[in-house]
Amino acid sequence: MTTYLIAVLTEGAIFGIMALGLNVIWGWSGDFDLAYYGYIAVGAYMTIVLTVGPPVAPAQYIIGQSLPYPLAVVFAVITAMAVALVVGSIALRHLRGIYFSIVTLGAVYVMYVFAGQYVPLFDGYNGLSGLFDPMGDWFGLDYFSYQYFFLGLSLVMFALVYFVMSRVSSSRFGMALRTLREDERAAAAFGRDIYRLKLKGYVLGAALGGFAGALFAAYLTAFNTSAWSPVEVIVLYSAVLVGGRGNIRGVVLGVLIMGLIVNESTRFLPQLPLPGLSAFDTLHPQVLQAARGGIIGLVLVLFLRFRPQGLLPERRFVDRSPATPAIEPAPLAS
Amino acid sequence: MSRPTTGPALEVRGLSKHFGGVIAVDACSFEAPLGQVTGLIGPNGAGKSTAIDLVSGFKLADSGTVLFKGREIQGHPPHEISRLGLIRTFQSPREWPGLTVLENVVMARWDPGREGFLGAITGLRRAQRAKADDELAQARDILDEFGLAKLRNERAGNLSGGQKRLVEFARIRMAAPELVILDEPMGGVNPVLGERMAVAIEGFIAAGTSVIVVEHNLPFIERVTQHVIVMAQGTVIAEGPFESLRSNRDVVDAYLGEQVR
Repeated sequence: MTTYLIAVLTEGAIFGIMALGLNVIWGWSGDFDLAYYGYIAVGAYMTIVLTVGPPVAPAQYIIGQSLPYPLAVVFAVITAMAVALVVGSIALRHLRGIYFSIVTLGAVYVMYVFAGQYVPLFDGYNGLSGLFDPMGDWFGLDYFSYQYFFLGLSLVMFALVYFVMSRVSSSRFGMALRTLREDERAAAAFGRDIYRLKLKGYVLGAALGGFAGALFAAYLTAFNTSAWSPVEVIVLYSAVLVGGRGNIRGVVLGVLIMGLIVNESTRFLPQLPLPGLSAFDTLHPQVLQAARGGIIGLVLVLFLRFRPQGLLPERRFVDRSPATPAIEPAPLAS
Repeated sequence: MSRPTTGPALEVRGLSKHFGGVIAVDACSFEAPLGQVTGLIGPNGAGKSTAIDLVSGFKLADSGTVLFKGREIQGHPPHEISRLGLIRTFQSPREWPGLTVLENVVMARWDPGREGFLGAITGLRRAQRAKADDELAQARDILDEFGLAKLRNERAGNLSGGQKRLVEFARIRMAAPELVILDEPMGGVNPVLGERMAVAIEGFIAAGTSVIVVEHNLPFIERVTQHVIVMAQGTVIAEGPFESLRSNRDVVDAYLGEQVR
């Protein structure tokens, strides 16, 4: 049970960072980016190739360095940002709405297929492995104590990201991103360089994605294409939507809720006291497995229909200064 | 801030734009003086809105020059033109609907030093905070002036059409540009509010903001200015005080079917 709890909390912290990054792009800038999981993957892949040393045949991959984990994370984040800069500078220039989504979907499939098919890059579909307990030997940790260490590390990193994002949320930068979401022509009319600002937000979001990917790689110890189907991003979107798009507290709440649903539905669905269910599950285990996607979809549909602003809607600055109008405003009707 | 009070704020020379076979703006030339209100009128399809889009950088001209305070701005992107001090509004109010009225006004001022990511992280510094407080106080004063103080925490998207127009005017006050181009500010506005907007335009002039008003509502134009430019079929056909235009044959012809009072 303890192991399970540690796993849930560690994953929660990592998914929390992922969702906070997505919130920058979708929650604040307002762009439905489908390439986001690609930046997580870039972060994960780069962390591994920078830490596990040169490849041993028949494995093949680029770089093959044995850098200390924190340094590898820094380079991994920079790489994710660079990839996002390329994708963003193409997709954000003129495209908005569904057209932006289509281009980013194309971009992430290019990344996905490339990582899977071009073996010399990240060993194709075999993927990379061997990132065991990074930094563990610095502190002389064994396998069991390392779990606690990594949980602590993930939580501290999550708290750090949360703090920075809470600053960004109320800053003029965060507000400027929202003016783009709300009406970008007006934003341009009042001096905002739409393209640059959107690109900045996009690269910032991708940086968090790459960072979360770097932690995710250490948590999984390995990474391959089966670890990141591009549709995984829908789970992140549902977390942001359920919690409250644009509200970082809501995003964290959404991660907790969707994390529970995703993790627990597959565990507990077979145990539901329905006659014949467990026998059915033994015969066709993939059906209840697939029900997970159905449940996520159902939650998404219900929220979009009944509470599109999420459980904790984006909060606005409320000015409580006792400003009393000098003259009573004339009634306005038009 | 001292600003020159003579000379043209805006000079448009030979501006042209066509969409496919339609010539929307055809070798259009006019000037708008500093420190005054200039009216720009004309029947539907005269090319007024396209001319504004060209001047403000939202559309690219085929040819011609646009000088703002003597500086060529044609071909510059909208945000650069805005930063130089020329701000335009749109035919339908373009508030940021999900932000509050107060936030709409505060964010109308572009602040290069604080809008980057680093600015977000260093926002705790005292100087930064003081600046933000100043801004907030100023925005409150402006909202007070426009009778919007009670609505300041309301999301701008929830306001009525007329109130949104006022928010737009409040944003202009906050941005304090050298020239503002108002694109049909009277669209969907009742006469009482119209008078308040006329007063607000006088306030812009007093604050050092020159004004160009594009409008179909001729009484409103007559109320706010004597200097009127008439456009028809993509070009300027007449210019001068309102009285002279009333007897101008070209203007009457251009407006045939529309009421000139």
